[in-house]
Amino acid sequence: MLDLAREIMQTIRTNKVRTALTGLAVAWGIFMLIILLGLARGVFNSFDDFTSKREQKTVRVRNGSTTMPYKGYNKGRWIKLKDTDINALVNAPDNKYIRNAVAVKYIDSAKVSTQRDYISNGLQGVFPQTIRLSGVDMYRGRFINETDIREMRKVTVLSKKSAETLFGDADNAIGQRVTSLGLSWHVVGVYTREWNEDETFIPFSTAMMMSGNNGEVHSFRVLIGNVANEANGDKAEEEIRRILAREHKFAPDDKGAVGMWNQFTNELTTRSALGILDIAIWVIGIFTMLSGIVGVSNIMFVSVRERTHEIGIRRAIGAKPRNILTQIVLESVSITTIFGYIGIVAGMLVMQLVAAVVGESDGFKNPTVDLSIAIKVTVVLIIAGALAGLFPALKATKVKPVEALRDE
Amino acid sequence: MRLLYRMAIRPVHHIMIIQLKDINKTYPGSVPLHVLKGINLDIERGELVSIMGASGSGKSTLLNIIGILDNYDTGSYTLDGIPIKGLNENRAAELRNRMIGFVFQSFNLISYKNAVENVALPLFYQGVSRRQRNRLAMEQLERMGLADRAHHLPGEMSGGQKQRVAIARALITKPSIILADEPTGALDSHTSREVMEVFRSLNAQGMTIVIVTHDPGVGAETNRIIRISDGIIMPDNA
Repeated sequence: MLDLAREIMQTIRTNKVRTALTGLAVAWGIFMLIILLGLARGVFNSFDDFTSKREQKTVRVRNGSTTMPYKGYNKGRWIKLKDTDINALVNAPDNKYIRNAVAVKYIDSAKVSTQRDYISNGLQGVFPQTIRLSGVDMYRGRFINETDIREMRKVTVLSKKSAETLFGDADNAIGQRVTSLGLSWHVVGVYTREWNEDETFIPFSTAMMMSGNNGEVHSFRVLIGNVANEANGDKAEEEIRRILAREHKFAPDDKGAVGMWNQFTNELTTRSALGILDIAIWVIGIFTMLSGIVGVSNIMFVSVRERTHEIGIRRAIGAKPRNILTQIVLESVSITTIFGYIGIVAGMLVMQLVAAVVGESDGFKNPTVDLSIAIKVTVVLIIAGALAGLFPALKATKVKPVEALRDE
Repeated sequence: MRLLYRMAIRPVHHIMIIQLKDINKTYPGSVPLHVLKGINLDIERGELVSIMGASGSGKSTLLNIIGILDNYDTGSYTLDGIPIKGLNENRAAELRNRMIGFVFQSFNLISYKNAVENVALPLFYQGVSRRQRNRLAMEQLERMGLADRAHHLPGEMSGGQKQRVAIARALITKPSIILADEPTGALDSHTSREVMEVFRSLNAQGMTIVIVTHDPGVGAETNRIIRISDGIIMPDNA
């Protein structure tokens, strides 16, 4: 085996320039494949990260207006979600998919200020469960709790970004006070979140009271279960619409009456889109590589032709067709693998560099290629190299030993 | 007369190393070419024989058949007791490797391999270890007086040296016969004589050697001349 390797290296060395030029094409192909896969990986990682941090099986429900007349009502009627809808949703006798629901009361006009600075992103009246549904991580202190809700406390949870704006330093925010809606609020927690740190949370009950207890809420988050595929997800959506239609007297098939954003089915769609992207990248990458491989195959043909006499000599002195076949195929595999690896290493270095420079920006995270992909690419390389060498090698086995007697 | 003489000095258990009986070979084509028309030829162990003939006489085809490089249509060929007929490529390659040492007109050394590697190559195809085959190759080169050229590439050697490397390569598998195709065709007369001297001394050590040539000078240095013309072997007195 070592002997054969030595034999192959010797023949490769005799044609350094040609081998290097051919190899370059392969290296470039692999390089591009790695870069493409790395970029795709970046998008994937970012998406995975995004989805893993929040409860995925939720449907967001918002106010909407009817698009068809129903039971004497005209179309275009504005449907305003009420806090009582939550009970209706969770306790409906015929619900199959709804597990839980929380309302969000958004006071959009509210400004939050300290002596140092202010922020004007409004206030979100939320429930303790919201922490799980919205993907926030506590940085300091705690989130809104049951007692806050029950006692309608004037407490608030700020984002790290807001805390830095208001106090200059997020680490000292806990226990301090902020002013909003003319009242003083106690900061009980600071959260971090990767994609949106604009929200300021207060207890839902407090928010309702501040806005005059009219029962109107901004939106719901409905936690659904018992769903496995897109069809289930759509059914869950229909169920929510059906119950709300009963409460608000709009047509159960009126899709405009309440706005819905089904995170579950959305994610399935995104995931399948990303799956297609992944396949597309492999296809593009493999075709890029294929042009390199065709080059190798071509060069092996040239090499076999040039070495017809040599192959004849080898055959005359006892090489079996199998020996010749093995040698040519392994030569091809060696060229593709060696240069392929140069491409892999170069590609990985570039992606490491990209990762270091770009860092973790939006929609892009850790764009490096992992070992499993490197292994896959290696397998592809070996197979491709073998295929590239196979046809020239078969041609080489057709060389008759009599060729050795022919004068050059 | 010559036959009697040879029989007198050789041991009694003369084995026919090459036995060709009524060999016919036709190259197919729109006009089929009947190149060998019933060749009968016996060569004994230890003979130094030349096969002579003009180009187109069928001499090369005969060489190819003796060297198991080509098949024949009818007849029978036995090489050192082994019938050679309808062999597949693998078996033919194996027999060539073990039984026949080829020496070619244009040396046919592999240009990017040095002398030792060229000489050792037949053993590579026998699966002999590198160390072992390089040792054996070195021994053969020493016998050819080329020890100091062992690590030179063919391009760095003279024609005579190259041909001696080729002879060393032919000998390394301890073959039954040496089959030389115009071994002096590319050499000047002085070097030709040198190479012929090598053949004669190998023959003196018992090696059977068949030389295909059209050079009467070379033929004269062998112990028997087989003349082939138009696909048949001419009688001795022709």
